[in-house]
Amino acid sequence: MKKEELTYEQAMQKLSAIVQKIESGQMDIDSLATNLKEAKELISFCKVKLTKVEAEVKKTLED
Amino acid sequence: MKSLSLYELNNLVRSTLENTMCTFYWVRAEISSLQFNRHCYLELVQKDERGQGIMAKARAQIWANKWYAIKGHFERVTGQVLSAGMEVLIQVEVTFHELYGYSLNISDIDPTFTLGDIARKRMEIIQSLKNEGVYDMNKELPLPRLLQRIAVISSATAAGYGDFCDQLNNNKFGLAFHTQLFPAIMQGNGVEESVIAALNRIAEDLDDWDIVVIIRGGGSVTDLSGFDTLALGENVAQFPLPVITGIGHERDDTVIDMVSHTRVKTPTAAAEFLIHHQAEELGKVEDLALRMFNSTISIIQDEKHRLSILSNKLPTLFEMIKQRENARLDRNFITLQSLIIQKTANEKSLIENKLQRLVSATEALLTSQQHKLEMLQTKMDGADPQRILNLGFSITRIDGKAVQDASTLHAGQAIETTLKSGTIKSTIQ
Repeated sequence: MKKEELTYEQAMQKLSAIVQKIESGQMDIDSLATNLKEAKELISFCKVKLTKVEAEVKKTLED
Repeated sequence: MKSLSLYELNNLVRSTLENTMCTFYWVRAEISSLQFNRHCYLELVQKDERGQGIMAKARAQIWANKWYAIKGHFERVTGQVLSAGMEVLIQVEVTFHELYGYSLNISDIDPTFTLGDIARKRMEIIQSLKNEGVYDMNKELPLPRLLQRIAVISSATAAGYGDFCDQLNNNKFGLAFHTQLFPAIMQGNGVEESVIAALNRIAEDLDDWDIVVIIRGGGSVTDLSGFDTLALGENVAQFPLPVITGIGHERDDTVIDMVSHTRVKTPTAAAEFLIHHQAEELGKVEDLALRMFNSTISIIQDEKHRLSILSNKLPTLFEMIKQRENARLDRNFITLQSLIIQKTANEKSLIENKLQRLVSATEALLTSQQHKLEMLQTKMDGADPQRILNLGFSITRIDGKAVQDASTLHAGQAIETTLKSGTIKSTIQ
């Protein structure tokens, strides 16, 4: 799924699901790395949404 | 007939009034019109029960020397500007002027009465909104996780909007906000119409906005009555996005404060609310990241531990298996050895047996041959010519060959006769 198509809400839901799965010990080692990578992307996606980075990028593109 | 001039009559009325009336009265009335021209000139009315027909009417004025004190006190207490349509409790002196006629000289206004009236009207509006079932509608909207795109309804010139934007953009968390001003009149009569128009403009691009903020700079208390209308209440309550109000009146909540999703005191407080909400969201993301980090570390440590336990067990396990396999190997070797010995023994005995048989068979064969030989010897002994010679017989040979038939002989041939001992050579005659 392309990250651009995700809404913040969806990203947070996916992120929570991954964290819960890891915490509950349901995550097998094989998929841990993949999930970790995805979670990392989701975290930075959410952070960017919340913080200035996005606004600044937008501004730069508009200038 | 004694008659009076008009002036005399009016003068009589005036003196009668002045002599019989008290110095002042507290009177309840509605302001039907109000004009200010150095002094304040009002028209007061009392309407009938149904609020339709006018039952009583009087002119009134507040002289300039009283006006500023009365106005200031009234506005401070009510948060509203004295205006037409307002119910007031006024202290009046009844005056009558020969030229200008009957009028009331207002010396004081009790703002708490008007406040009660405003509150009553406000409650009526609230009750209507509740009856329509819209009162809680905006409050029930869930706040989106992202409150980032903010449609601001405010007056462009008011300091409140600037404060709001400064506060938002200088937040210490580095949170991003996008604001756009939808200008509206924020005091006086135009409020209802222009705020509704602004809401409608926002509603045209509803997807572009997360939340609506209606703010008004604080400072001097001005006319907030425009925010206390049914139509505005209905619009705000039913607006599809959450509405935050920061109208900036300390004492009372206006109707839109009461129906809005969240009410704050000031524009700065509205900004704080949004920052707090977003900061909390950022905290949630960071919390998830931390939890994930910790869980992952602990999973990996657990797995490492498991692995090290297993790898520690390996040499022992290997040793065990090695010993077991060695033992098995030893057992097999012994078995093999005994098998070989047995097999060798078998073969050996088989060979010996065969050899034995060969020996005995050979012996038997030899014996029988010996026997045969002895028999032949005996036979041969019987056939020996010497034995015949010894008996007195002789052998005649010609050219080395024994003569068996005398007719084969010719005269003149030399013959050789062998006796028991010695040989005779003779010629045939």
